[in-house]
Amino acid sequence: MGWKTITRCVCGTRHQHQHIPCQDHGAEYVRDSLVIGVVADGAGSAPYADIGATLAVNTMQEYLQASEKWLQSHQHTWETVPLSALTDVTYKCFIKGIETVQTALRTEAKRNDWTIEDLACTLLGFLATPHWIAAFQIGDGFIVARSPQHSYKLLFQADRGEYANQTTFVTSDDAIPSMQTCAVIEPQQFICASTDGLEPVAIRRQDKTPFPPFFQPLEDYLVETENPNKNDDYIMAFLHSDRLNQRTDDDKTLLLCRHSTTDP
Amino acid sequence: MPVGLPEFVDNPENRCPVILLLDTSSSMVGQPIQALHRGMRVFREDLQRDTQAVLSVEVAIVSFGPVQLVQDFVSIDELVPPILEAEGFTPTGEAIEYAIHLLEQRKQQYKESGIQYYRPWIFLITDGAPTDKWQAAARRVREGEDNHEFCFFAVGVEGADMETLHQIAPPQRPPVRLNGLNFQEMFVWLSTSMKRVSSSKVGGMMALPPVGWGEVAT
Repeated sequence: MGWKTITRCVCGTRHQHQHIPCQDHGAEYVRDSLVIGVVADGAGSAPYADIGATLAVNTMQEYLQASEKWLQSHQHTWETVPLSALTDVTYKCFIKGIETVQTALRTEAKRNDWTIEDLACTLLGFLATPHWIAAFQIGDGFIVARSPQHSYKLLFQADRGEYANQTTFVTSDDAIPSMQTCAVIEPQQFICASTDGLEPVAIRRQDKTPFPPFFQPLEDYLVETENPNKNDDYIMAFLHSDRLNQRTDDDKTLLLCRHSTTDP
Repeated sequence: MPVGLPEFVDNPENRCPVILLLDTSSSMVGQPIQALHRGMRVFREDLQRDTQAVLSVEVAIVSFGPVQLVQDFVSIDELVPPILEAEGFTPTGEAIEYAIHLLEQRKQQYKESGIQYYRPWIFLITDGAPTDKWQAAARRVREGEDNHEFCFFAVGVEGADMETLHQIAPPQRPPVRLNGLNFQEMFVWLSTSMKRVSSSKVGGMMALPPVGWGEVAT
């Protein structure tokens, strides 16, 4: 019943060889029928990217969780926000959230005598109820969702520059103008948020579509597993598998949600 | 019910294009052209030892004097270092414009096939002075550098007109004067740089290895 979720990040083999910590971070939160997911990928060129990614995710999570309290003070919850206002309300909420993240990163940088670029990371995430999903994305990575009777959909095109090693970071001057947002008023049965490490094996580049045989087993696992957070062997074995490491040497993140009224 | 494992989509590798722009004017006859050929073989052998570079790096070779496409873009495994014949003048300007056009076409092909790519490199090696009008090409090089269209490197072999090369090369990357005919070491450096580019991920420019094979002209 309700949302089943799990988030796991695993250090890429390139980072292991270079003794660099995992620079991906992700966290999910469920309260009643609301789910919030946020993931970040620290920039390889930033010396404290792992700290930046963790701080960005935690700050955004706290902000989005607090938005529920703010709505309550206005006699609302995320479930009762009028659908006609949803795009507007969630857009403003994401902007405020990103500004809060930027302030937190700036403060952390100042405290340690670093620059904010030393904490550079991408940031993407979503809020979802059984009736809609609203999402944002700065930089690369992907959010894939599936509504009942439909196939997997990519919410945003990855924001990257012309070249394979370029993207926008939450610390960039143009982070907010280049942020992509959306609100889809349709129930979502499955949501997956991830960083660019899994992109080469999960998203078909030619037409920028999710590859169903990648996502279907992950969804099946959530259907079959009563408490994914207590039973993560399948996900961990997959993220650590040689088969996967042969295809990507980057850090890997899976944040998975499945909503059901009938699952165990 | 047992759950299967996620299957992977077959995406093409990111590409890392480089154009070698080689002066084959008559002054390169003999030792220089032979040393250049040997250098290209070292380049190929060195890159072949890197599994990622083999999948990503693509090389095209344009010779000038006269300008001709000796080798269109191929992977390292397919690259056969050509026997170059030295003859004719030094149409450096025309050669540069040709190379930039070749890159634009290649990028278009990448885009149409959904292939991601790194910033291309144009690597000019010359031992003389341009015999054509090179000023427009020099402007194009600087424009291209400023717009991050490519990275342009100029190498002068003994006898090269370093003064003009200075005006062609982007100010942030002045030309390098090759020590003697040390093409081997130069190509090992190029290969090492290409390996770094082809394994680089999110982030700006990576650091290049130090230039031990020549003097950075100032």
